[in-house]
Amino acid sequence: MIETILAGFADALHLANILFVLLGVVVGVTAGAIPGINGPMAIALCIPLSYYMSPVAAIGFLVGVNKGAFFGGSIPGILLNAPGTPESAATTWDGHPMALQGKGEKALRVALYSSVTGDAFATLLLVLVAAPLASVALYMGPPEIFALICVAMTIIASLGTRSLTRGLIAAAFGILIGMVGIEPVSALPRLTFGIVALERGISLIPIGIGMLAFSEIIMQLERLIGSTTTQEVISFSDKAEDRLFSLGEFLRCGKTLLRSSFVGSMVGALPGLGAPVASFFAYDQAVKHSYCPDTFGKGNLEGIAASEAANSAVAASSLIPLFTLGIPGNMAAALLIGAFVVHGMTPGPLMFEQNARFVYAVYGSVVIASLLLLLVGRAGLRLFCKLVQVPPLTLYPVIIFTCTMGAYLSQYTAFDVTLMLAFSLLAYFMRKFDYSFICLIIGFILAPIWETSLQQVIIASEIDPFMFAKRPVAIILMALTFFIIAKTAFAACKANTSSPALRGAPSCHACPPRTPSTLP
Amino acid sequence: MTEIKRDVISYGFVAMLSGAFLLWVIPAFSPEYPGYGAPPTLMPNVAACLMLGLSLLGLVRTVLRRRRADGGTADGVRWRHLFLFFLPCGLMMPAMHHLGFIPAGLLFMAFIQLACGQRRIAPLVLVAALPVLAVYLLMRYALGVPMP
Repeated sequence: MIETILAGFADALHLANILFVLLGVVVGVTAGAIPGINGPMAIALCIPLSYYMSPVAAIGFLVGVNKGAFFGGSIPGILLNAPGTPESAATTWDGHPMALQGKGEKALRVALYSSVTGDAFATLLLVLVAAPLASVALYMGPPEIFALICVAMTIIASLGTRSLTRGLIAAAFGILIGMVGIEPVSALPRLTFGIVALERGISLIPIGIGMLAFSEIIMQLERLIGSTTTQEVISFSDKAEDRLFSLGEFLRCGKTLLRSSFVGSMVGALPGLGAPVASFFAYDQAVKHSYCPDTFGKGNLEGIAASEAANSAVAASSLIPLFTLGIPGNMAAALLIGAFVVHGMTPGPLMFEQNARFVYAVYGSVVIASLLLLLVGRAGLRLFCKLVQVPPLTLYPVIIFTCTMGAYLSQYTAFDVTLMLAFSLLAYFMRKFDYSFICLIIGFILAPIWETSLQQVIIASEIDPFMFAKRPVAIILMALTFFIIAKTAFAACKANTSSPALRGAPSCHACPPRTPSTLP
Repeated sequence: MTEIKRDVISYGFVAMLSGAFLLWVIPAFSPEYPGYGAPPTLMPNVAACLMLGLSLLGLVRTVLRRRRADGGTADGVRWRHLFLFFLPCGLMMPAMHHLGFIPAGLLFMAFIQLACGQRRIAPLVLVAALPVLAVYLLMRYALGVPMP
């Protein structure tokens, strides 16, 4: 056991792996720093490049991108009041007022140290908790896995979207798309419309790039073209107290950092909630526990620390359900499943038995990514600040071209580019009609596991309709599914009847679905 | 477009789509039941039934809501914008096949920039040339990928 752990960490410490993780962190911070690009978008664009790396380097690279993007998203949020990622929205409430006071560099340093603290806390939790949880998860059979996926999809559809109905429709459509290809039992093509290229099934790359990156750019261009808004010019103060984040200040934020890291880790470990919920919740808790809550929203260091520690903790803790159950905690983890599969690994409890050395190498890469984020953030802070000034007219055409080439790189066929465009068009309409394309992608990713577990249940039970009734854990999980559906439906009916004004509220996919009451 | 109109259109479309899947696509494009395990049509049928049931439920709720209030406004689809960006993207791969990677890439980038609103010549040329050449070098020499 110890030898396996050491061998895994030794793999992670190979120079090539460290360089790829470093590259990932730089790419992630750069992507996050550019307004309009977020972590999942950057991961979707980078997955085709990871084909050319070893499995450990590829996952390390993508984890680096994810971690870098969480911190990078705070840069435009603090400097321009335009959060690069939805989870950085809470950071702007105190970060931008500081930037307006000339303390932008200090706010960025607080964001960096808080991100690294939250990330380190969650990484430690991942290392300590994932293996024991996976050994428990090994006792789960196909009925429990089937029921667990039902719960996960219901949670994602109910908490990650504004409408449970539309969330479940999107997830069901994702399952339908996931059924395209060779049917596992008969080994014959299903739902391919006679198109040979579809017999391999639809790859995650065109779906990820099309729905996460391309459609987002098309939506942003729609808002940009014809808009006349200009960016504010932020200047940095030269005084040391306005630039540096001292040890005393760090220690004064200690309680907030620990609390927010814990909140972020818990939220990240639950499927569907995601980083925006973690950062808003942690900010809310920081306000409630503060001796001077009135200073929040005006440049309070603890506000930045709470939001950043919580959202960065999600990056590592979202790997817990991925490693232990094979279920993605958020969109970035869902994309990582695609990368694992490409490299011949199936995330889940069996990974600890079959590829233990690989898992510990990934742990090593996660730790290295945290350290490199600190180094890259400190060394390139001023440089990354310049990235927020890249004009969209330069950036967006480059991203469109990169999306097209990224889709081509997945299997070297123009058909994948067509698929990518088709899915970006679908995501565009889903956004316009207020459907969650995230539910669709998660439904698509979970569909094969869901179908396989159902097939196993049916074959093992010889089509016994009471198979689930004999498994108490499966019964509890299915009951939980129905409870979540009933509770969400009841809450929606209540909100509908009590506040008719809310029905006309504008909707935005960048905004989180839940906001606490005490936010500024 | 009001939110209610948007919901009626979207739920109606989903209901029709799932109906088409249940009645035509799934039976026509699924293999025969091999005699063991679950039928290949089971999961697609479950997903399509879920979509149909939920969309009809949503439709009923929207119609009932319509009687009580008008609801807010929703952002409409901008067809011209979609056409402007999707058409060149759709034509890029065939153009690369016929004209070659670099000429087609340069034309594509120039067109997209013009569509975005870029009117200054120097940035237009630079932004058209640099990414295309960088991607060409990366794909051709670093990754050894067969060019489109």
